Amino acid sequence: MYVRALPTTDVNRNTEWFTYPGVWTTYIIIIFFSWLLVLSVFHCSPGMAWTIVHLAHFTVTYHSFHWKKGTPFGDDQGIYNRLTWWEQIDNGKQLTRNRKFLTVVPIVLYLIASHTTDYQHPMLFLNTLAVFVMVVMKFPHMHKVRIFGINGDQ
Amino acid sequence: MITIPYLTAVSTYFSYGLLFAFGQLRDYSRLIFDWCSTNNLQGYAPICLAHEDFYIRRLYHRIQDCFNRPISSAPDSWVDVIERYSNDNNKTLKRTTKSTRCLNLGSYNYLGFGSFDEYCTPRVIESLKKFSASTCSSRVDAGTTSVHAELEECVAKYVGKPAAIVTGMGFATNSAIIPVLIGKGGLIISDSLNHTSIVNGARGSGATIRVFQHNTPAHLERVLKEQIAEGQPRTHRPWKKIIVVVEGIYSMEGEICQLPEIVSVCKKYKAYVYLDEAHSIGAIGKTGRGVCELLGVDTADVDIMMGTFTKSFGSCGGYIAGSKELIQYLKYHCPAHLYATSISTPSAQQIISAIKVILGEDGSNRGAQKLARIRENSNFFRAELQKMGFEVLGDNDSPVMPIMLYNPAKIPAFSRECLRENVAVVVVGFPATPLLLARARICISASHSREDLIKALKVISKAGDLTGIKYFPAAPKKQEEEKDRIKLD
Repeated sequence: MYVRALPTTDVNRNTEWFTYPGVWTTYIIIIFFSWLLVLSVFHCSPGMAWTIVHLAHFTVTYHSFHWKKGTPFGDDQGIYNRLTWWEQIDNGKQLTRNRKFLTVVPIVLYLIASHTTDYQHPMLFLNTLAVFVMVVMKFPHMHKVRIFGINGDQ
Repeated sequence: MITIPYLTAVSTYFSYGLLFAFGQLRDYSRLIFDWCSTNNLQGYAPICLAHEDFYIRRLYHRIQDCFNRPISSAPDSWVDVIERYSNDNNKTLKRTTKSTRCLNLGSYNYLGFGSFDEYCTPRVIESLKKFSASTCSSRVDAGTTSVHAELEECVAKYVGKPAAIVTGMGFATNSAIIPVLIGKGGLIISDSLNHTSIVNGARGSGATIRVFQHNTPAHLERVLKEQIAEGQPRTHRPWKKIIVVVEGIYSMEGEICQLPEIVSVCKKYKAYVYLDEAHSIGAIGKTGRGVCELLGVDTADVDIMMGTFTKSFGSCGGYIAGSKELIQYLKYHCPAHLYATSISTPSAQQIISAIKVILGEDGSNRGAQKLARIRENSNFFRAELQKMGFEVLGDNDSPVMPIMLYNPAKIPAFSRECLRENVAVVVVGFPATPLLLARARICISASHSREDLIKALKVISKAGDLTGIKYFPAAPKKQEEEKDRIKLD
């Protein structure tokens, strides 16, 4: 089963990998396998496992998409040093397919997590807070916005 | 166009995710450890920003022994690779005094001028004795000798342009000349896979940069139309100058540029064409004159032709060839000409002698033989690799052939397995290539004999079986043998 990889026009090597085929599938597979892992390690109910996966997903994506700035290599001479990964992707264009996909995934995770825990507190509160922050951060209006100077430049 | 098996793509992303996750965990534990110990920065700022060297520290250093291998002989078809060992898991590597003789599939030694040559080397030694190793001056002060003038004439005649200017370093030719040609208010449209020297030169010029899809003239036309209609950013005035930058052979793909279509698009929209022939000059075309000769493009249609002498001519430095007015302008304005040390005279003599050999002006037909041999070798090698089931990129006739590896673990595995069998290959990964598309790049030389290539094929096949990179089904062999037998009967 082969796929064709069309060459992209993205010069930023830090975000160009997201335009190749197979990324969305890998993302979903990793989330699913981490749910299985949490279930087997903690022996908790499926709903609790989905909550843990949702909150861990929130932490990991918050740190890697919206907190870390710049690129992990020095070849581009630091021209992206003020932009987080989310702001670099697709050359800063808003509302592309990749951005829409990345916004939908935490929402779907939230729905699964709250459904499987039967909408009980305190899981519902934590899940809702996480998804609210996640989705607000991905709005087009939040592009290059630093609230109260958090994560701003020195 | 690269065809990837879907499962390989998914597993490659997963492997990289795992590597990055482990690197991140190690960084966090290092942070916790260092909180306890005091740092002795003495008020100085740290050398790199926190995450700038993450890839180098956590991924590149783990497989450091596959890159930067020192050699201790001339880069001929066989080369002495110095053995190294490491006591701390590849964080530091120490050289030993031993070396192994390996088949050299990594040097850009396309025509075999990388080692002793019976015509070139005596003349180079003579010129070394007469002019000494360095001119110790820039071109405008005291660094122009008769050899330099002869070299520029020779190069201009060889490439097919009225005049040429030569600089001492190939990378600096691009990064120092592009800022001189275009400035703020101009537009540079470059291929998405152009070399770092072009990217550096373009960024340093201050012009607006737009990128078009690799080797796709249709997309280039769309970008040109859009940009000409929009004009300069914010003021929307017309562009002062538009330069389209393409390469003859792309060093990471082995693909030959679609020059006729690109030149016709540029003519239609009145944009200048800048052709970087670093890998194609001397290696393709009937008389080695590069991609213009191969594809039948008139050299008068390409405005600026750039090339380097490091690949096919066995020397150093780069050249720009163009009209007399252009070269005159560059000689007055280019910092590489005004301030940088001129190319060393023995190297210039090597280039002149190599060009004479290629054109047959030394009285023998070694040049034509070399060109025929590199074409035969490249086509034979590529056909055999594809028959074995490897995914090989690049067009026919191109001496550069990348073999796709994809998975990050296969990069060191392939490289070390080949070195164990005494074949030296170059492997390239992120960020020189896209994340998914790690590859082993083979450069064929005219000095490789048929036995060398067959040995290389055997070793690569064995390493390929061990690492599982034969992504395509192998061509059936037995049916062909039977057909031959029937034909003979």
